Amino acid sequence: MKIPLSWLREFTDVQLTAEQLADALTLRGLEVRGVERWGASWNKMVVGELLEVGPHPKADRLQLTKVRIGDGPILNIVCGARNIAAGQRIPVALVGAEMPDGRRIERAEKMGIASEGMLCSGQELDATDDGDGILILDPSAPLGTPLVDYLGEDVIDVDVKPNRGDLLSILGLAREVGAITGAPVVYAARALKEGADAVGAGLALRVADETLAPHVALRVVDGVKVAASPDRVQMRLKAAGLRSISNVVDATNYIMLEIGKPTHAFDRAKVGDTLQIRLAKKGESLETLDHEVRTLDATDLVVADERAALALAGVMGGASSEVTPSTTSVIIESAIFAPTSVRRSAQRHSLRSEASHRFERGQERRLAALGADQVAALLTEWAGGVARAGRLMSGTADLPAATLNFRPSRVRALLGVALTDDEQIALLGSIGISADAAADSTKIVVTPKRSISAAKGSARAVRVPSWRSDLEIEADLAEEVARLYGYERIPTSIPSADLPSHRPSPTLLRDRVRRLLADAGLHEVVTHALVSATQAELWSEPATLVTGPLAVSEGAAGGAVIVLQNPLSADHDRLRQSLLPSLLDRVDANLRYGATSGAIFEVGRGYGSTKGAPSEWTRLSIAVWGECEQGVPSAGATAWNLDELKRLLAQVAHLVGERPAYGESIESPVLHPGINAAITGERIAGLLGELHPASPIWRDAPRILLAEVAIAGLQSGRLEVAKVVLPPTTPPVTRDLALLIPATSTVGQVVAVARSTVSRATAVELFDLFAGAPLAPGERSAGLRFTFQPSATGADDEAIATELAAFEGTVLRTCGARIRGVEGQ
Amino acid sequence: MDLAALEKQLRSLQGDAATRIAAVASTPDLEELGSSLLGKRGAITEILRGIGALPAEDRPKIGVVANEVRAAIDAAITARHASLSTGELLARIERERVDATTPGPAPRTGSLHPIPETIAAIAEIMASFGFVVAEGQEIEDDVTNFQLLNIPEDHPSRDLWDTLYLQEPGRLLRTHTSPGQIRTMQAGGPPIRVILPGRCFRYEAVDASHGFEFHQVEGLLVDGGATLADLKGILDELAKGLFGSAARTRFRPGYYPFTEPSVAVDVSWPGSKDGWMTILGAGMVHPVVLENGGIDPETHQGFAFGLGVERIAMLRHGIPDLRAFLENDLRFLAGFR
Repeated sequence: MKIPLSWLREFTDVQLTAEQLADALTLRGLEVRGVERWGASWNKMVVGELLEVGPHPKADRLQLTKVRIGDGPILNIVCGARNIAAGQRIPVALVGAEMPDGRRIERAEKMGIASEGMLCSGQELDATDDGDGILILDPSAPLGTPLVDYLGEDVIDVDVKPNRGDLLSILGLAREVGAITGAPVVYAARALKEGADAVGAGLALRVADETLAPHVALRVVDGVKVAASPDRVQMRLKAAGLRSISNVVDATNYIMLEIGKPTHAFDRAKVGDTLQIRLAKKGESLETLDHEVRTLDATDLVVADERAALALAGVMGGASSEVTPSTTSVIIESAIFAPTSVRRSAQRHSLRSEASHRFERGQERRLAALGADQVAALLTEWAGGVARAGRLMSGTADLPAATLNFRPSRVRALLGVALTDDEQIALLGSIGISADAAADSTKIVVTPKRSISAAKGSARAVRVPSWRSDLEIEADLAEEVARLYGYERIPTSIPSADLPSHRPSPTLLRDRVRRLLADAGLHEVVTHALVSATQAELWSEPATLVTGPLAVSEGAAGGAVIVLQNPLSADHDRLRQSLLPSLLDRVDANLRYGATSGAIFEVGRGYGSTKGAPSEWTRLSIAVWGECEQGVPSAGATAWNLDELKRLLAQVAHLVGERPAYGESIESPVLHPGINAAITGERIAGLLGELHPASPIWRDAPRILLAEVAIAGLQSGRLEVAKVVLPPTTPPVTRDLALLIPATSTVGQVVAVARSTVSRATAVELFDLFAGAPLAPGERSAGLRFTFQPSATGADDEAIATELAAFEGTVLRTCGARIRGVEGQ
Repeated sequence: MDLAALEKQLRSLQGDAATRIAAVASTPDLEELGSSLLGKRGAITEILRGIGALPAEDRPKIGVVANEVRAAIDAAITARHASLSTGELLARIERERVDATTPGPAPRTGSLHPIPETIAAIAEIMASFGFVVAEGQEIEDDVTNFQLLNIPEDHPSRDLWDTLYLQEPGRLLRTHTSPGQIRTMQAGGPPIRVILPGRCFRYEAVDASHGFEFHQVEGLLVDGGATLADLKGILDELAKGLFGSAARTRFRPGYYPFTEPSVAVDVSWPGSKDGWMTILGAGMVHPVVLENGGIDPETHQGFAFGLGVERIAMLRHGIPDLRAFLENDLRFLAGFR
């Protein structure tokens, strides 16, 4: 809401500067978006006086003028306008001035005669819509004064919150300003002189639904001459951010800004005998003022005559009854409409207007008659109209005055400030919330659903002004007291009582994983959860990957992809299931930025929907490409490979006391079918592999490797406390086994068998792997090192031998792998 | 063999050994020579085998000579060993010499993203006031995201949140972390001190200060008597924790449907360019919200606050454009150590 200060001053005295006022309003909860000087762009433009106006010797349509702009030299200016005469005061753009449209004023020859500036029209100044004639100023305009000092205007832009519809008017803001300054606020309504003809002659009002239109006032003004509004009106509307249309439309807008009451003017000649307010018929059509033909719904409230809908009530007028230059008589409709009805119609038709904005926020009933009267008064003043006697009315403006009770002790307890009962009452009184000593004050509205009885004498009653329908419960008054007292005066303290019991942070493990990976040289990223259809189809986690307790604690992936109903763009119209497409997108971006090597990770969520029930899961995703080690000329750079990636995963898994096991490869359009493996485990599960060569961002170099895993505790944060046994003094012993693995089995299978059958081993590591001649194709020779910790020297030799023998039998049976030799100490 | 012959042999060995010791070129050779002279089967022992043939009274005499010779040879070896090992050490040092002035491998400099790190910083500050972290769901329903927070359907305050809806009726992506207030209250009664960080979504065009995906941290405290003064105290501490102990806060009335009174908090710190900058919204929890959370507003009260993580991170790190956070340019990320 833009407030020209001169307008505000019509209702209350303001001694503060615009900036001081803006600060004061902001501290009282009326957030000021900005303070501007309307007209500040009028550089090198001053008030001048026409000394002489004469014909141009060579051009009939031009005139020669001599202009005085104060004590300086008299200027010769050539002018094309016809509405000028000697003695007038006019705006003069001096040489060097820049017009609002960007044009620069130069000393110029016009048909052989030098012109030392320009006389400006309202349109050229972007002040009024009049482009035909020069803007004629008041004879009292001080000569030589910069134009901005004379016509300019301080404008404060206030961000009015949705609960304070009463502040969508100059008068409403004046009340708040008055509370700050202590100056009285007076609205002197314009007196309306009525003509002899009665309003009811030939016109009736019929309201079909008094719930949706509880109160309506109509006035008729005859003898209207539709024209441009007076210059000062046009400029004031412009400063307030509205376009000037015509004197009739401007009058409705002027009153809307002044007292917050939207009204609508119909061309009387285009309306039948009965103005009706009714619900639209389903499928009924209406061409609104923006020349869109709209198909109405049976819940749209319309203003109509006996033949057709004329306006969408509270939202926008219709083209068929629009005021035009030939209009001579207008109907002013000033109504109270149900906020929800207006809001729904405005939303349904995507048609938000200044009027609907105000109706949605509620309207004081008394404004209906006042609005109609004030618009009529302006029409008599600006358009020469004659108001018919009386109004056509429906419903009543007389609602019982609202009282609200509150316990000053409760306000003190809520705010933590020692304000006496009387101090609170006085603060409320400063914005017209007056004490009502006579009313019964025992009923306290805690919430709209819950009222209680206050102890006798503990509560006070106040009368809520009709414009403050937002004040409904006790806490609303507490806020008013705090606001008017000033938040800056409320003390600060630290709450001391009632600490909740301790809960471990859900980010405990996550933060350790993040720190570990960052220390290992990876960059954490945060990517979009909303992705494109292509990205979503690229990959989704197989539901069989993460199961059991891990699926319970970290969320089970799967279900249908969740699609938005109203996406901003097709690039982000659905929720990802895997983080990998988002990560790949960032790998691609960084490759374009020249990062030939990189390593990134994200801990984030995937989303899916099963039978309509949405679910979210937490995963760690990693993407690495290029070189993992730099600055080592002796060893050469080491490219990221599966083992480097597995080292990271093993370190991460170590945090939850597990070693990742690698199982069968996964069918996936994003992973290289020959270079990937599932990660299977109780506390870490997922997959890793190289990017599929068919991927659009694949390239020969650098190769891109990916992993995505669920880790127990990544979402919930619980870290198991490790149980530790003291080591014996005996050193550990190792046994190295050489195995021949046939092409039909994987190393992962053999290692899995080793880990499960040799349960005494504290570690099983692959220390050698060889393929090629003299081995058969696909056959591999692997060396496995088992580490044991006997309790005393030689104590477990027999048991170890038994377990290794069992392993030999099992690995031959399940994997076809033969033991070629055993070594150990 | 007589005493004189044996003594001569020993003396001759001593002289011969001196020559050989001086000629030895390495410590292993010296050790070998030493054991061939002095060892159990060495030259001295060999000579002394003849001692059995001597008369008993001569035997101690030859023992004295043998000890002299043994000591002399041992001393010569020790001296020679000292000189040889010094030379060998110097040779080893020269042999192993490298240029140790190379820059060394590049550090593996990863980084933690400023958004989770800013959340962690907030959590760390709030933890000292007893606030624990909890996380809610990002897919919400209209009831919890709006209605239970005192934002009824068809209320103009809905305009404050442009919402991304799912195709499933009634479901949406949470527009703020505030529904976590309801879920926290419903999950367990007071006392409550919790912060709820997480991702939020809005139907919003992307520019330097807006995005359709962003992060918030919600805070909620409910107990028997927390006041607006307590809200000021805690949030002043939070601001100082985030922007330095010299930061100043300004509290002014705001508007949120789920708080009453509502508060907007501005911060300013020495060197901040733009004067007061709004960093968060807060307020005393609205009695309707307490009621919807299953808490009696007559016996309990508290405050809530919500802040935009991106905005805080931008202010703290001097980042002019919020889009950098989701762009994830490694050159940008590398700045966060």
